[in-house]
Amino acid sequence: MIDSDRQTPRYADTLVHASVPIVSNERIAFDTYRLRFHCAEMATRFVPGQFLMVRIDGCQDPLLGRPFALFDTVLDAEERPIGIDVVYLVKGKLTSRLAKLERGAVLGVWGPLGNGFAPVAARRLIMAAGGIGQTPFLALGRESLGRRAYGTPARPILDVPDVILLYGARSADRLAGVDAFRDAGIDVRIATEDGSAGHRGRVTELLEACLAESASARGGVQVVACGPDPMLEAVSRLTREARVACRVSLETPMACGIGICFSCVARVRDGEGWDYRRTCVEGPVFAADSIVWSVKPGGRNDRA
Amino acid sequence: MIEVGESGSRSEWTRSDVMSETSRSDVDLAVPIGRLRLPNPILVAAGTFGYAREMERVVDLGRLGGVLPKTITWEPRIGNAPWRTVETAAGLLNSIGLDNDGIEAFIAHHLPYLRGLGSAVIVSIAGRTEDEFVRMADRLAIEPGIAALELNISCPNVAHGVDFGADAEKCRRVVSRVRGATDTAILTKLTPNVTRIADIAEGATEGGTDGISLINTVLGMAVDWRARRPLLGNRIGGLSGPAIKPIALRCIYQVAERVSTPLIGIGGIGSIDDVMEFLVTGASAVQIGTANYYDPTVSTRILDGLPDAVRELGARSVIEIVGSLEGLARPGARGPA
Ligand SMILES: Cc1cc2nc3c(=O)[nH]c(=O)nc-3n(C[C@H](O)[C@H](O)[C@H](O)COP(=O)(O)O)c2cc1C
Ligand code: FES
Repeated sequence: MIDSDRQTPRYADTLVHASVPIVSNERIAFDTYRLRFHCAEMATRFVPGQFLMVRIDGCQDPLLGRPFALFDTVLDAEERPIGIDVVYLVKGKLTSRLAKLERGAVLGVWGPLGNGFAPVAARRLIMAAGGIGQTPFLALGRESLGRRAYGTPARPILDVPDVILLYGARSADRLAGVDAFRDAGIDVRIATEDGSAGHRGRVTELLEACLAESASARGGVQVVACGPDPMLEAVSRLTREARVACRVSLETPMACGIGICFSCVARVRDGEGWDYRRTCVEGPVFAADSIVWSVKPGGRNDRA
Repeated sequence: MIEVGESGSRSEWTRSDVMSETSRSDVDLAVPIGRLRLPNPILVAAGTFGYAREMERVVDLGRLGGVLPKTITWEPRIGNAPWRTVETAAGLLNSIGLDNDGIEAFIAHHLPYLRGLGSAVIVSIAGRTEDEFVRMADRLAIEPGIAALELNISCPNVAHGVDFGADAEKCRRVVSRVRGATDTAILTKLTPNVTRIADIAEGATEGGTDGISLINTVLGMAVDWRARRPLLGNRIGGLSGPAIKPIALRCIYQVAERVSTPLIGIGGIGSIDDVMEFLVTGASAVQIGTANYYDPTVSTRILDGLPDAVRELGARSVIEIVGSLEGLARPGARGPA
């Protein structure tokens, strides 16, 4: 519906808006899917921690797009980025519909959006993920280990020797993408609430242990975290106590993803007080100590 | 719905393309809105396009008939607590609460950028009192590069947001006092949350408005029954998007039959077919709102399709088709019938 040549993005600079057919859409864990589409113009611009909006083309219900982190770029035979992989959990109207779509179905996509993670300068990178919060960390892990370059112009090749993923989920069947992380050379440590895989308990317990073990690590430790707000709040408390730098990637519901609706706000410290700031423009990645954590607004917002 | 409508019109465009390539340039897209002259009738609505800068990478902003940045207030406003938006069937409920940094920050940080766009800049203002509307108009009157003011007397998400939009006499007074404070063109933006919108439109017309923009959002609510909680932080909010288009069209129709003041249609517009429906029903121009959120490049794509759609009606100008709906009785003279 957007124009006759659905695969060609119309406006290429940093942000690209395109209509693209689904290349693949496979279930990889309980209610969790890996979606692939091709759009070289977008893929070459993405850096870890940025996100894109995905909408079902022409659909009025669900109407809006939903934000998804870059899981990874797809490379061609010459190692040039040609596509995007997204990993999503089925939790609302759009993701339920998306899970039923097959190869060839057309999506509206726009991205890359948001700030993403700054290149990591540390000897050890600890990535703490809860629920579907592992999704931004495969690309960040690859980049930090010096295995893949992202962005245009390409960001520097990094050499962080030690990259750890602490991954918490409700049960073993919900763990998604663990093999991809291990294949990338990332040290994966798992926690499940029911004990069906790894440590029985919460990812924050893994983090406490990992921080204790890292206390003597020379050259610096950095923590990044993504997951539900209560988990992020706990992570930021633990890292503050351990005096370790921490960045969090917020999972705020969004309507536009581009900064034009002002609905995705978080409370961000501003001088003595705080201000509502758009997480899609100023985030989704923030220094953990810049966020004023608040009680989650009530009810289930069907924005997924 | 959208799929049928849009693919239908796309094939129409293809046919027109074959007819004549030069035909596009024959169509006069310009529309007058009182003293305001717009190069074309495709505008973007206040609060749905940020401060325009956010869109510069995907929209050729200079092509738009006009740009309305987010409504400003005299003092900074922090806005309402999250959640600020909730999606509903074919629509979006919002309660942003006029989150903005105030008029001085707007003049310092956003206006310089906006006036460089080459598109008509229409500044949406909301005052808490008549005096505050006048003070804002006064302050903006000395700033170059503003094509018009839009008086937002229809925001459902702040206290006193609709005080002037729900009463014809209050509406007349605030418009006429702003009229006295500035030579800039004035648009008055109305709320649909009234019993007789044409009465309010008459008040705005008597107050001397150049154009009437309608509609702002329709009051609504969403609830999580399991948690027994409203979903919006502000509990209730305003509905926008395709779900409200029939309401907006009805409002345009009723107002077009009452006043001859030029109208700007707003509400659920997301395709060239939507635009044509509003023009035919009596709108001289339109503003695209929520569609910018789910289809960021929609505004200029609609503009691309406009000449052929106008020609399809056998017309050579947008003006000819405005209010051409069968049976529509527009008052002849300017002012109430
Ligand atoms: C999130 C959001 C914020 C809005 N903010 C404003 C605003 O600041 N000022 C205003 O006059 N209208 C505002 N509106 C109303 C729109 O300009 C428009 O009148 C309404 O959404 C109907 O059009 P639509 O269905 O095309 O969105 C807002 C609408 C939405 C959805
Ligand atoms: S999602 Fe619209 S401003 Fe962030």
